[in-house]
Amino acid sequence: MSLFKKVDELRSEFKQALASSPALSDLERIRQDYLGRKGRLNELFRHIKEVEATRKGEFGGLVNSLKQEVQQTIDALLLAKQSAATPASGVDVSLPGAAYERGTLHPLEQTLREVKSVFHRLGFSVAEGPEIETQWRNFDALNFPPEHPARDMQDTFFLQNNSVLRTHTSPVQIRLMLEDQPPIRSIMPGRVYRNEAIDAGHYCLFHQVEGLYVDEQVTHGELKATIELFCREMFGKNVSLRFRPSFFPFTEPSNEVDVSCFLCGGKGCRVCKQTGWLEILGCGLVDPNVFKAVGIDSEQYSGYAFGMGIERITMLKYGINDIRLFFENDVRFLQQF
Amino acid sequence: MNISYNWLKEYIDFELTPLELAEQLTAAGLETNLVQQFPDYFQSIKVGYVISRETHPNADKLSVCQVDLGTGEPQQIICGAPNVAAGQKVPVATLGTTFPGGMKIKKAKLRGVISNGMICSERELELSDDHAGIMVLDEDATPGSAMGSYLSGNDVTLELDLTPDRPDALGHIGVARDLAALLGKELKVPAVKLVEAAAATAAEITVEIQDVEACPRYAARLVKDIKIADSPAWLRRRLQAVGIRSINNVVDAANYVLMETGHPLHTFDLSYIEGQKIVVRRAEPKEKITTLDGKERELDDQVLLICDTRKPVAVAGIMGGENSEVKVDTTELLLESAYFDPVVIRRGARKLQLATDASHRFERGADPNGIPYALDRLAALIIELAGGYLTQGQVDVYPQRIEPLQIILRASRCNQLLGTDIPADLMRAILSGLGMIVQEERSGELMVTVPTFRPDITREIDLVEEIARIYGYDNIPIPEHFSIANQLSKPSPDKVREQIMDYLAAIGFNQIYGNSLVAIDEHPIVLGDEEPMILANALTRDMASIRTSLLPGVSKIAGYNLNRRQVNLKLFEVGQVSSLDSSIDTGAREMSHLALFVSGDYQIKQWSQPAVPADIFQLKGIISALFAGLFKQSIQYVATEHEQIDSALEIRYKGQQIGVIGEPRGRWAEQAEGAYAELRIPTATQLDPVVKYEQVAVFPRVERDLSILVDTNISYSDLEHIIVKNSGKYLIYSQLYDIYEGKSIASGKKSLTFRLVFQNQKRTLTEKEIDRDFQRILKGLEDANKATLREAT
Repeated sequence: MSLFKKVDELRSEFKQALASSPALSDLERIRQDYLGRKGRLNELFRHIKEVEATRKGEFGGLVNSLKQEVQQTIDALLLAKQSAATPASGVDVSLPGAAYERGTLHPLEQTLREVKSVFHRLGFSVAEGPEIETQWRNFDALNFPPEHPARDMQDTFFLQNNSVLRTHTSPVQIRLMLEDQPPIRSIMPGRVYRNEAIDAGHYCLFHQVEGLYVDEQVTHGELKATIELFCREMFGKNVSLRFRPSFFPFTEPSNEVDVSCFLCGGKGCRVCKQTGWLEILGCGLVDPNVFKAVGIDSEQYSGYAFGMGIERITMLKYGINDIRLFFENDVRFLQQF
Repeated sequence: MNISYNWLKEYIDFELTPLELAEQLTAAGLETNLVQQFPDYFQSIKVGYVISRETHPNADKLSVCQVDLGTGEPQQIICGAPNVAAGQKVPVATLGTTFPGGMKIKKAKLRGVISNGMICSERELELSDDHAGIMVLDEDATPGSAMGSYLSGNDVTLELDLTPDRPDALGHIGVARDLAALLGKELKVPAVKLVEAAAATAAEITVEIQDVEACPRYAARLVKDIKIADSPAWLRRRLQAVGIRSINNVVDAANYVLMETGHPLHTFDLSYIEGQKIVVRRAEPKEKITTLDGKERELDDQVLLICDTRKPVAVAGIMGGENSEVKVDTTELLLESAYFDPVVIRRGARKLQLATDASHRFERGADPNGIPYALDRLAALIIELAGGYLTQGQVDVYPQRIEPLQIILRASRCNQLLGTDIPADLMRAILSGLGMIVQEERSGELMVTVPTFRPDITREIDLVEEIARIYGYDNIPIPEHFSIANQLSKPSPDKVREQIMDYLAAIGFNQIYGNSLVAIDEHPIVLGDEEPMILANALTRDMASIRTSLLPGVSKIAGYNLNRRQVNLKLFEVGQVSSLDSSIDTGAREMSHLALFVSGDYQIKQWSQPAVPADIFQLKGIISALFAGLFKQSIQYVATEHEQIDSALEIRYKGQQIGVIGEPRGRWAEQAEGAYAELRIPTATQLDPVVKYEQVAVFPRVERDLSILVDTNISYSDLEHIIVKNSGKYLIYSQLYDIYEGKSIASGKKSLTFRLVFQNQKRTLTEKEIDRDFQRILKGLEDANKATLREAT
């Protein structure tokens, strides 16, 4: 009898063996008989050397497919038998497992952790500063001259003692540069405040991550490299970047960085307002006036700084269209992340 | 600011489409978007030419028109308007147009005759309220062209969202200059040719600047014999494209030159200027002026005024006065072109709460040396539009010249900062293209003279930015390696907080982010009497101060959820609180707090387990687990009376109160009832556990249960204290195992069962040793608290 015929024969024998609806223990025996190390199928396999060379592949395939068929049939029968088990015959293992609640980190915290971890890999430490700041650290030292329209770029909450609720995390740069000598390589996450009417796009506070690198020979090219790597880690390796000139008093040159819309692949959609681009962060080389304010020689050192909004990134990432959701904290919202 | 695509072409030749133009300008730092001037449905509104009109065979009031829509084949359209006539150019809503009201234009039979569209009135196109008849277009309209193009004169409006450092781009010439540098094209600034009368301007008007710092330069011209009229169509169209309403030829001319040069100008009716003199001075306290918008404004010395010899006639750089406004009967003009100090204008505008096109530009910095050109350009345009003549020359008071800055740019420094290899020649070309005068001082050093229209450029680094933005950031190469300083990392300030968050999330708590801003009366004294920081310019009363405790936020958020039937809550927040502390330069001390809130069932009922209601003991256990388990620190709890919190327990760490646990009462419980804990998060340095390995004991532990009866008013902590005091050498811990009150126990008594665990590190304990320790503990309890051993039942 040809070995090929033997395969078919084995299949019909197997079907016959199951025809008598065997008990659980019998099933296990049948499995051994067919699939065990010394089972019938392996036995059949051993005859492959007798098959002519051109048909070896075909034969192997046939045996393998029978093997799978046997395996799946027995598994299905075993499962059916087990779930039919009643408490009387033992434990009803089909009862639901004990409910363990999973808590959640706030979606903003989760995004922040992702951002931190990318920069951690790039050798950035984490630094923090207070939310209430002097006007000097929040504005003057960052090269916002008094009475300059640049101060209007950020609607500011003033306190009765003339301090401000920081409008950005940039004053932490000032603290760092006053405390330490270069090299300085840190990111600075934190809560910032803007005196704006609250709506779907604005809240009175939000969260930023600031970054600063000061050393000898820091270049704009390296800033680009850092930001590009970050964006690819964060938004996908295929995103492309666009550095647009912009203006921040504390950096010169200044850029706003757009990434190609990762929601539509840059084709244009509602979220990117059909532009194909999403504005993600601001950055630039540290302005020499900032170095002057903190006593760092801008001829010897150069540096870059960048800053981004955690809410914005989170909203883009999850398609959240109302910033207030983050602060309402409906648990049904929180538990989605 | 809006600019017009067609208008821009007067100053530079370019081939870009409006979209390409917007992209180029954006890439160069002038963020530009196309403005959609007409609603979407305008796309199918076309210009039609009425070839013929006949009366409808079945309706006298209807006309059957053959209309050329540029398709080659005339379309038959029925029209009900009385004014439709052959030879007209008209707007036609073609088949498929859907109006905002939902009306859709379909092929239809009107009284038996086919109609392929609708000829529209102005009201139907929402252009005006006119519905007396169809709208009739100018004869030069092209059949088949889009109605939007007809209305805009084939123009496209671009909106520029400019950063505050670029006042030079607040006019078409400035935008064209950037574009010229980008494209390597020539900027074409219109030449001005003036014909002047013999009479000298200076003979008729003098200018006195009393505050030279506030007004470094003031120039004026006089125009006589003019006639106020409507502006010609080209001018109205230009202004319409940039969103300025046409008023009359003189006002429009001033606005035109403003939008062309970016320099604000003002026109006075000369007949209202008394004493043949302009005086620039600060306002007196309480001095009043009625501005062009009809409002009387009270001033102070922050405000700079333009006056004649008797009265103020304008608020300098912000808005003209009503008393000298150009009106229909005006025949003589004084034209003003001046430079005001940015800070003076900013303060004045803020004082008057008035932001105008003029103040916007002066605040950012106008060009003091662009004054004569703008003035002559305006004068020429007025003569062209309104007739009349000019007197001889400008009166130009400029006591202290503001000179262009000279800055040295080192090509090597520029390349070092950018990480590029741009040749000095290219740098020179870029800067020249932007209107700067560049000379090579030494090899690799450029001496750059920066025109005064670029007040943002004062340093070498500012030139580096100009080179980068015109060279193109895309062209800056990305290095293959990062340089990272070889230094130790700093301790992470967020480590402890992250550990706490991770633990709480893992045991089922949801992290919340509360608002830091609370009402002034929302400061529960949770961890001590702290004075809140109050905002000076709060948005609303419920956000007028900074939280001193997380409780108000947590209770709001819990309430929000409870109102939405989310009753089994496990919430935590890690956030900053602050309070007044004048020893710190910010005036505030800030601390990181942790708040926990549980309500409803802590553990929900399931087939395998009963429901466990949420209470303070879960929070107590969690906090103990955090400190003992995670941080290897011991904390103590002390029962306390608390103003805001029932069943309050103080949490002590290293002898200091760091937190409280309990059930908030009063207004906090009204929003959400539950158990609450709040504590200061110790810093990593405070915690810094030193973990030292101890060999795990090999000798067996022995457990003994001890059940005692005590008066119900005896606290667990008292008993625990006595157990510890009498524990001896071998008790390693005691655990409260059970509490029971009720049947089978005398009233006023409760039964407590402790599990006592004994162990010796060095050998197996004998029964005798355990008995001895057990009896000593029992005796201690009996002596101190009248406890009795509860017999086993």
